[in-house]
Amino acid sequence: MKTSLLAILLAYAVLWLWLLARARRRRSWRTVGHCLAYHGLVIGAAVMILPFYWMVATSLKDFQGANQSPPTWLPLGAHYFVPPPGASAPADKGASDPDDLGNLVEVGLVQDASKLWRETRRKQEILVAPIDRLNEPSARYSVPGSAIRRVRRPEWRNYVEAWNAPAKGNPLRPVTFTRYFQVSIVTAVVTTFGTLLTSILAAYAFAKMEFRGKNVLFYLVLATMMVPGQALLIPDFLILARLPDFTFGMRWLDNYPALIAPWLASVFSIFLLRQFFYGIPDDLWDAAQIDGAGRFRYLWQVVVPLSKPALITAGIFIFLGEWNSLLWPLIVTTSPEMRTLMVGLQTFNEELRGDFNLLMAASTIAVAPVVVLFFILQRFFIEGIARTGIK
Amino acid sequence: MTPFPRSSSPWRAIARNIEAYAYLAPAAVILAVFWVFPVLLSLFVSFTNWHGGDTLGDVKWVGLENYGMALQDPRFFKTLWNTVNYVLWSVPITIATSLAVALLLNLRIRGVSLFRTAFFLPYVTTWVAISIVWSYFFQQNFGLANYVLDDVLGLGRLKWLNESRGVVEMAATGLGHALGFVPAREALRFENPLLQGPSLALFAIILTSVWRDVGYFMIIFLAGLQGIDRSYYEAASIDGAGPWKRFWSITIPLLSPVTFFVFIIAMIGAFKVFVPVLVMTPEGGPSKSTSTLVYFLYEEGFQAWRLGYASAIAYLLFVIILAMTLLQNRVFGRRVFYQ
Repeated sequence: MKTSLLAILLAYAVLWLWLLARARRRRSWRTVGHCLAYHGLVIGAAVMILPFYWMVATSLKDFQGANQSPPTWLPLGAHYFVPPPGASAPADKGASDPDDLGNLVEVGLVQDASKLWRETRRKQEILVAPIDRLNEPSARYSVPGSAIRRVRRPEWRNYVEAWNAPAKGNPLRPVTFTRYFQVSIVTAVVTTFGTLLTSILAAYAFAKMEFRGKNVLFYLVLATMMVPGQALLIPDFLILARLPDFTFGMRWLDNYPALIAPWLASVFSIFLLRQFFYGIPDDLWDAAQIDGAGRFRYLWQVVVPLSKPALITAGIFIFLGEWNSLLWPLIVTTSPEMRTLMVGLQTFNEELRGDFNLLMAASTIAVAPVVVLFFILQRFFIEGIARTGIK
Repeated sequence: MTPFPRSSSPWRAIARNIEAYAYLAPAAVILAVFWVFPVLLSLFVSFTNWHGGDTLGDVKWVGLENYGMALQDPRFFKTLWNTVNYVLWSVPITIATSLAVALLLNLRIRGVSLFRTAFFLPYVTTWVAISIVWSYFFQQNFGLANYVLDDVLGLGRLKWLNESRGVVEMAATGLGHALGFVPAREALRFENPLLQGPSLALFAIILTSVWRDVGYFMIIFLAGLQGIDRSYYEAASIDGAGPWKRFWSITIPLLSPVTFFVFIIAMIGAFKVFVPVLVMTPEGGPSKSTSTLVYFLYEEGFQAWRLGYASAIAYLLFVIILAMTLLQNRVFGRRVFYQ
C-alpha cells in the first residue's frame, strides 16, 4: 500500500516539474495558472460535496457504524453471524458469502464497537448476544473471534424506519413522513400558484396600465420589501389568532391557511415579472385589440405564455422559500399533523439526538426532492440569482 | 409609452383606474393585511405588556418599559454580542471565499458548469438537513471533525458545539502554549466579548453557514465579473500591467458595485440567522453563546410568550439592521466605482 502511494506522489511531482519546465521554455505561465486553479476548484468542490456523501453513506450504516470512532467510509451496515451452539465453526474463507450462511445465527457484538474488525477476529473470546436480546445480560455468551462471520450491506431499512419513526413516539397520533410531505407539498404548491397569480396581476398592472397613484403605489410596494421578516412574526401570529372572528369561525392557526396566507404576495416576484412584462412589445396588444380581445384575455392568452422563463424562475424561488421555511411553520403549528417537512425533520432531530444513521436517512429523504428539482431546473435557478445581482 | 389610446370620456378614465386597482387588489390585500398592518401592530404591541393567552382586557400600556428592560437585560446584550460576532466573522469569510471561487471559475477552464453546480448545490439544499449533517460532523465523539483533528493530525479533540470559549481566546492560548509564554496549564481569558471572538460553538455554525452561502454569492460575483469588458484587460496587458496589477486596478474597482451589494445582502442575512442555531444548538448553545437575536426573539416570544418584550426586541433588531445598512452606505458608498 505504501509503495503505490509513494509511486503516485512521485509521478505527481514529475508532472509538475515537466509542467514548470515547459512554462519556463515558452515563457507562458497560463497553463501553470490553470493547473493551480484546477487544484483549488477540485478541493473546493470536494469540500462542497463531501457532506452530501457523508449524509447518504451514514444513512446506510447501522447504529454502531454511525456511532463509532474512527468512522467508516463505506455506506454499509454490518451484521454478525455465529454458528449455533454445538455446531462447528465453518471453514474460514475470508469474505463472507451471504448465501453461505446456512445454519448461522445472527448476533450483536456486546464488545466495544470501536474495535476494528481485524482485532475482533484475532481475539480468543468475544461476548455476543442474540440480535433481538442484545440488552439482556443473561442472554450473552462467548465465542472465539475467529468463528464470527461479518456480512456488510447497505441498511436500506433505515429509510423505512426513519420514515415511520415519528409515529412510534406518539402512538395516539401516528404521523409519519408521509403526512409531513403532504403538508409541505400542499403548502408549497398552493403558495406558488397563489403567489404567481397575485404577482402576475399586479405586475401586469404596473407594467402595462396607466392609473392614478401608480407611482405612489409602486413605492409603497417597494417599501414593503424593507420590512424584515422577524418583525412580522408576532403581529402576523396575533392577526391569525384573531381572524376566525372575522371569517365565520374558519380556523387559521395550526391549519393550512396560516401556513399559506401571509406568503401569497411576493414583492420580489412582482418586480421580476414587471421587468419581464416591460419587454413585451405593445404591438401585440394592439393586434389583440383589433381581434377583439379584452385585457384579461390578452394577459392570460398572450402575455403569460410568453413569460414562461420568468414565471418558472419566480415560481422556483417562491416554492423553495415556502418549502425550506422553518421559523414560520414552527410558530403557527402545534399539532403533529400540521408539521411541514422541515418542522418534522427538526422535531425528529430533537427527539433522536444520537441515532445518526436514522437522522441521516431522514435528512436524505428531505433533501432528495429538492436536489432532483435543482438538477432539472438548474438553468432557472442560476439565471434568477445572477439577475438579482445586476440591478 | 402608454399601451392604449387616451380616451376623452372621463368615465373611461375612471373605469381604467378601477380596472387597474382590481388587478392590484389581490396582492395589495395580502400585503396590507400581513405586511403593512403588522408593522404598526408590532409597534403597538411593543408598548404593552402582552403575554400570550391574554385577552384584550389584560393588556396594559407600558410605554417604553419594554425597551428599557431590553437595554438593561444582560441576556439581550449577550445575544447582541453573539450576533455581532457572527456577522463580523461570517460575512468577510463568506465574501472572500465566494469571490475567490468566482475568480477561479472566471478563468474559463473546462468543466466550469460542473464546478458551478457543485458549489451551488449546498445553497439549494434545505438548511435544516444541512445543519443536521454538520452537527453530526461536529459531534464530539463520532464526528469527522474531531476524527481529522485527533486521529489524522494528532492535534487533540475539541468540544465544538459544546464549547463556550471564544475562538480568539482559544487560538491565542494555543499560540501562547506553543510559543511558551503561556504556562502549560493556564488559559488566557479575555473580558471583552468582541475580543473573545465567537464561541467555538458559534464558529462551528459560522462554518456551516459559509459552506452554504459560498455558492449563492459566487453566482452573483461571477455575473459581475463577466460584466467587465475584456477590452480593459487587453489594454492593460498592452501597457505592460501584470496579472496582480490588473486585478487590483481593473477587477476590484469595476466589481465594487457588486461587492457593495453582496456585502449588504450578506450582512442583513447574517443578522437574521436562525435555522442553524435552532437545529445545531437547540438550547441556545453552551452558556447561551450561540443565541442570536432572532433566536432570542423566538425564545421570548413563542416559548416564554412575552409578546410585548419580544416585539420590542424585534423593533430593536430592525433598527440595528437599518443603522448598519445606512452606516455601510455612508462609509463604503463613496468608494463604489460606477462606470
